[in-house]
Amino acid sequence: MRDTSTAFRVKKAFGYAMMLTFLAFSLLPVIWVVLLSMRPPTALFEPIWESPGAWTLDNIRSIARSDFPAALLNSFITAGSSTLLAMLIGVPGAFALSKRRSSNKFFASWLLLLLRMAPPVGFVIPLFLVYVRVGLIDTYVGLIFAYTSLTLPFVVWSMWTSFNQIPDELIEAGLMDGASLGRVLWRIVIPAARPGLVAAGVLSFLLAWNDFFFSLIITRSDTTTAPVAVMNFVSYASVDWGAIAVASIALTLPIVPIIVLANKYIVQSLGGAVKG
Amino acid sequence: MGNITLDKVVKRFGDVEVIPPLDLEIADGEFVVFVGPSGCGKSTLLRIIAGLEDLTSGHIEISGRDVSHLAPGDRGLAMVFQSYALYPHMTVRENMLFPLEMTRVDSRAANEKVERAAEVLNLSAYMDRKPGQLSGGQRQRVAIGRAIVREPSAFLFDEPLSNLDAALRVNMRIEIAELHAKLGTTMIYVTHDQVEAMTMADRIVVLQAGRIEQVGTPLELYERPCNEFVAGFIGSPRMNFIRGAEAERLGAPVIGIRPEHINASRDAGMWNGKVSFSEHLGSDTYLHIDTDVGPVNVRTTGEFGVHRGDTVWLNPNEQSIHRFDTNGMAV
Repeated sequence: MRDTSTAFRVKKAFGYAMMLTFLAFSLLPVIWVVLLSMRPPTALFEPIWESPGAWTLDNIRSIARSDFPAALLNSFITAGSSTLLAMLIGVPGAFALSKRRSSNKFFASWLLLLLRMAPPVGFVIPLFLVYVRVGLIDTYVGLIFAYTSLTLPFVVWSMWTSFNQIPDELIEAGLMDGASLGRVLWRIVIPAARPGLVAAGVLSFLLAWNDFFFSLIITRSDTTTAPVAVMNFVSYASVDWGAIAVASIALTLPIVPIIVLANKYIVQSLGGAVKG
Repeated sequence: MGNITLDKVVKRFGDVEVIPPLDLEIADGEFVVFVGPSGCGKSTLLRIIAGLEDLTSGHIEISGRDVSHLAPGDRGLAMVFQSYALYPHMTVRENMLFPLEMTRVDSRAANEKVERAAEVLNLSAYMDRKPGQLSGGQRQRVAIGRAIVREPSAFLFDEPLSNLDAALRVNMRIEIAELHAKLGTTMIYVTHDQVEAMTMADRIVVLQAGRIEQVGTPLELYERPCNEFVAGFIGSPRMNFIRGAEAERLGAPVIGIRPEHINASRDAGMWNGKVSFSEHLGSDTYLHIDTDVGPVNVRTTGEFGVHRGDTVWLNPNEQSIHRFDTNGMAV
């Protein structure tokens, strides 16, 4: 008995050691960024024990005075709006694709997959040329549309699979009860597919929030988003590492509560479990 | 009023005609059961009446009103599904209120109706539970409750008892029959289980390949099946069919005789055979016998003590023999 229990303890300790190693490995850059954000420029690349008293809030102050808060707001506006737009169009679209009897579904799924898989660089050049013509460069509308081209296929694809798990009889019961198709979607299907819906919303928000490439090409100054604004702290003469560290934290922090709140739904949705 | 008329109803999926032109009259207050093997089109026919499937051609009238092209919710019908189809995120009360909300019934009247239905169905204690917290039988009752509150001109049941265990199924069968007696509303009930059909129906519609084989009361179908298919489908255990010289001797190319219309004896009789298998149920004994006219099943009342390999004599009750021509039609 004792032998097995010792073996079990060793195994458990080994498991914990593995987890801690992995955690340290993945958290180290984060910890480093947090430390960097509070160090003065002179002490940036010194080991902490050489200047243990060198802490400052100057990096945060300089970020607050820069264009970065405006860029953060731009990120919120564009990622939020494109997610909203993608959900408004994508959810009914996915519902139709999932529940309508149609022979064109294969084509639709193929096209959606293509949009999901194709590298953004494939879209950004034609988009740029069109935007220059119609005056959408450096506008919210231009960036929101561009992001929606990323988020919409994602929302449709993931909601399509969520809706596939909703039994047809549930929809038919709604129709028999006198609800229109729109009300069936709103009152029955969407609440029943809530985990998938939350997951699709959060992940598509992150898709737009984390974008660098589209923003870099399409924005100039007015609508620059936070990931691109970070670049402003890099100049020919110097790199303001402290400011970059603060900006990185500012970019990450808003995501944390969203992920914490939506974690359950995201796991459920990715695990494919919808309770009947 | 809830009389339903199907007039030359046709349903095609692409090139496949699943329901050939079909006519049927269902009287107000009648309990009609659609029965047939899987894939015979009985559920499709029910869904056409409900409006969940489009008609290819023909007309459907409910209470004298042509509903052929109306939306399901506008036909004044209520449906109970095999999977119950309760809204998983709503409580029992909200589930039952939903159809009333959709028809904009004033909320106090709606609540009263729901409470009354819950009382009838013994659901009052579960009103604030979600469907996931209910047993199969309770869920089925909620589904029926949701149908009742609409006060429909007819109820449609699509194999509502298939997901329940055997004991519960018998109980629910009685509950539904009692509900019909109480409400007096037209009910159309789809099942593949001929026992359900026989016990519940005022009239049975036997379907095969989308075609109506016969319509009649349970006893009419049992006593006077119009063809071999109906004769074989209605009645349990299944009717025995005998072909060839012995059938010709008894007056037709094919004869049918029900297991309960054959007397088994150890001494003498018309046919002689060996027991291949016997089922002793206490109240009855089912004998499977290999005879010189083919395999024959016999049902005897009480215990009939035989074993595999024993020789048994069989005497069909000649008044109960059904005769069919070469096309399988009764003669």
